[in-house]
Formats: sequence, C-alpha cells, structure tokens
Amino acid sequence: MRLERLDEAVQVRADFQGGRVSPRWIRRKHQELRVTQVTARWEDRRGSQKVHYFSVQVPSGDVYQLEFHTGDLLWKLNAVMLDG
Amino acid sequence: MSATGPAPRTPRVILHLDLDAFFASVEQLRDPRLRGKPVIVGNGVIASCSYEARARGCYAGQPLSEARRTCPGVVILDGSEAVYRAFAERTFALCADLSPSMETFLDEAFLDLTGSERLHGDLLERAARLKEHIRAQVGLPVTVGLGPNRMLAKIASKSVKPDGLRWIRPGDVGTVLPGLPVDRLPGVGRRVGAELGKLGVRTVGDLRAFPVETLVQMFGAPGRALHDRCRGRDTRPVALREVPLSVSRETAFAEPVTDPRNLEGMLYYLLERAVRHARGLHLAARTVRVWIDHTEAGRMAAARTLPAPSDQDAVLYDRARRILCRLFVRREAVRRVGVALSGFVADAAGQSDLFAGGADAGRERLYRSLDRVRSRFGHSAVVAGPSVRFLGALEQDRNGFVLRTPSLTK
Repeated sequence: MRLERLDEAVQVRADFQGGRVSPRWIRRKHQELRVTQVTARWEDRRGSQKVHYFSVQVPSGDVYQLEFHTGDLLWKLNAVMLDG
Repeated sequence: MSATGPAPRTPRVILHLDLDAFFASVEQLRDPRLRGKPVIVGNGVIASCSYEARARGCYAGQPLSEARRTCPGVVILDGSEAVYRAFAERTFALCADLSPSMETFLDEAFLDLTGSERLHGDLLERAARLKEHIRAQVGLPVTVGLGPNRMLAKIASKSVKPDGLRWIRPGDVGTVLPGLPVDRLPGVGRRVGAELGKLGVRTVGDLRAFPVETLVQMFGAPGRALHDRCRGRDTRPVALREVPLSVSRETAFAEPVTDPRNLEGMLYYLLERAVRHARGLHLAARTVRVWIDHTEAGRMAAARTLPAPSDQDAVLYDRARRILCRLFVRREAVRRVGVALSGFVADAAGQSDLFAGGADAGRERLYRSLDRVRSRFGHSAVVAGPSVRFLGALEQDRNGFVLRTPSLTK
C-alpha cells in the first residue's frame, strides 16, 4: 500500500440527510469517480471551522481521503491509498 | 437520623474500555483492502499491529526490520496521530453517556458506574449496548471489562480481548486472581517482576504467601500496594483528570542525526509539547529527564531536578539542553530523542503569580496565551525557539510537525 498526497480542490456531489453528509460522486479534473462506499468518517477543527473527513472507496478499489470544510463549503481531496 | 447505623455502601463498579489494536483497526476501517491482513502502524518500531500481525509474531515495540522478517508481506503504514485522536474522541464521547466520571488515555478509558444500576439497568447489558453503539457509530471493535475496581476491570478486559466483554464480580476474585501471571498486576513491571521471579513468584497466588512487611522491605511503599492488589484490592479512584507521574515525548528521526542543532531543535519541540500538556493539567515540573539513542552505542539518559518547579518552556528547556550537551559527546549519530517531565506540583499558576517578578509573570501570561492560540488554531499556529529550523524541512499538520514516530502522550 502506498499513500499519495493530493491536496486538490474537487467538486463533490453529496447527500445531506439526518445530520450526516455522505459524498456520492467526486469530479476530479475531467474524471468522475463514483463513491461505492464511505468506509470511515471523522471530524476535526481548524480554528473555529469544523472539518469533516471521509475515507471513500471507488470502483477501482482505491481509497481516497476527502475533507469538507463547513466554514467555506469547500471539498478537498487530500490523499489516495494505492495498491502496491 | 437512622438508629440502625450507616446505610450499606453501594458496591463499586468500574468499567474499563480498550480500543482493540487501535491504530491498526482505524487503518483497516479506512481501507477495506487491509481487513484480514497483517497491518502494522509505526515507523522505526511498531506502535500498533493488527491481530493478524500479532498471530504471525509481531508485537508493539518490535523494530520494523525484525517485523518484516517475522511477517513477510505485512502492510506497514506511518499512521496519523490526528486521525487516531479524532476516533478516540468520538469513542469517548459515546462513553460519556454512561457516566460523568471518566478517565481517558490514548486508547483506553475507565468509567465509574457505581450506583448507576437504577439509571442503566443491568450493567453487563448496558456495556454490551455500548460496545454495539461504538461499533455502529465509530466502526471500531472495543473490549469492555467490568469489575469492583480499576485493576479488576482491566484484568477482566485483558482476559477477553479482542472484542470481548466480561464482568469480574467481587465473589469471583478468589477464583480469578490466584492463577494469573504476577505481571498482570499493576506495579509489576520488568524490575519488580524479575525480583519476584528470583523468589519463585510466578502467579498472583504465589505473591499472596508474602506478608506485607516483607514486600515493603523489598519494594518500599509500592510493596504495600502489591500486597493489596494480589488480594484484589485497589482503591484508586477514576478521576476526570489524572495527575500523571510523568509526561514524556519522544520521537525517532527519519535519518540518524549528527548535527547538534537538529537535536536541540527537536528537543525543544518535544519539550514544548510536554510542557504544554502539563500546563493544561495545571502542573509544574521539578525534574527533567532527557535520553538519546545512538545508532550503535544504545541509550544514554540523565535527569536533573530544578531548585523550584516550573511550567515555563524557557526554564525547562534551559535545563534539558544542558543535559543534552552532557549526553551528546560521542561521535555517533542519534536515531531517537526523548524528554520527560516529572516531580509535578499542582496549581503552579496561582503560586507563581504571587511570588513571581514582572518578567516571570509576563512570560507566564505569554505561554498561557500561546496555549490558547494553539488550542484554537492547532499546535502549528505558533512555531518557536530552536524548532523554527524545521519549518519547511518537516511536514506540518494541525497537530504540529509530522514526526516519524508521533509524539503522543505516554
């Protein structure tokens, strides 16, 4: 397994339901990645801003780490865990 | 007032919760491809390993080079302190629903449930629900032990790891304790265990044969605690905030270090983290201990005691740096450095406000302001002293520099 840092602003389609946010699709450059599973979620703070973190799996099996900044409503793709 | 005397005391019930193979479990949760595989988190040495890795001979503290030989194909990850902290906080927030009296550590918690049966019903069932709730909400397996005191609650949980649940009731103590290896008792570390081994003491039952006077003669005051604990007695309370015996921080370098400025910079950074933690508990330290691990010659360590306790970075660093200068005299690289504060005195702020001069009081206000800034914006918001040299050289996140081995509370 190999972690690759990305730190990219991305577009995300997400469901907001029952006080929870769940990413469904990630648009990265010209590529659309369907989220097959949100494998883990956790929260942290940056100053007064709450940041939601998600580990999500896509159909290729790769696992991405996404973050959602509640203050400026920004999604970022910060890392991908690759096989090999 | 009743004429029949004091009401019978409610029996104590302590719950011990342990996050199983914590760091490795978080990694297996985040990446489903790791589930069922041997996974190690650590750098230099194993900080945490999955049960699959343990089954193949890996253990915490084992050098990674040895782990690779023991367990070919093992997945090794650096890990992330910030992520683990977030998962621990979420888990402990769910535990707080059971009792306001809780003491937490990095991957375990004690809760005092005494007298809460009327609120919670059967405590074993309530503990089982807590386990399910944590599994559903956080996604992690935990082991829970219940007992009439902290020691027995922890012995209960240790005996059913992973993902287990057990209650040692007061009536079970006579059957459960005697057969246990003596090193399961708190206070029996390597040194005490070796001393007892020389006397042929292997189990808790063997230790019971020794009168309290003999144990006190052998080990001083802790001998009395041993005498109590081998009989299942442990009166330590569950405190919201534990006054630790020591606060330490250490890390391994990615590449062995020969430049003393890098050593001093890392020592300052680690000490600053330790002092900030102590200040958060309103403690001032009297003793500073520093250690370095050479690549060949092994560990060198020394400690010094200050004339008066202090909770100020500059005062404690001055002492720590002098110790480091005396230790770092070999022409050999250093792969690990650490610092520990001990000899704590409580409520230092109030005392030094009364007696400190203007400069001291000003410095104290400065450190407390820095603590507030860092609490709000993260430790990386302010980088100070000799650790400034790592800016740009080491990666940073909200919790400070991303070190090879996270400088976690011990």
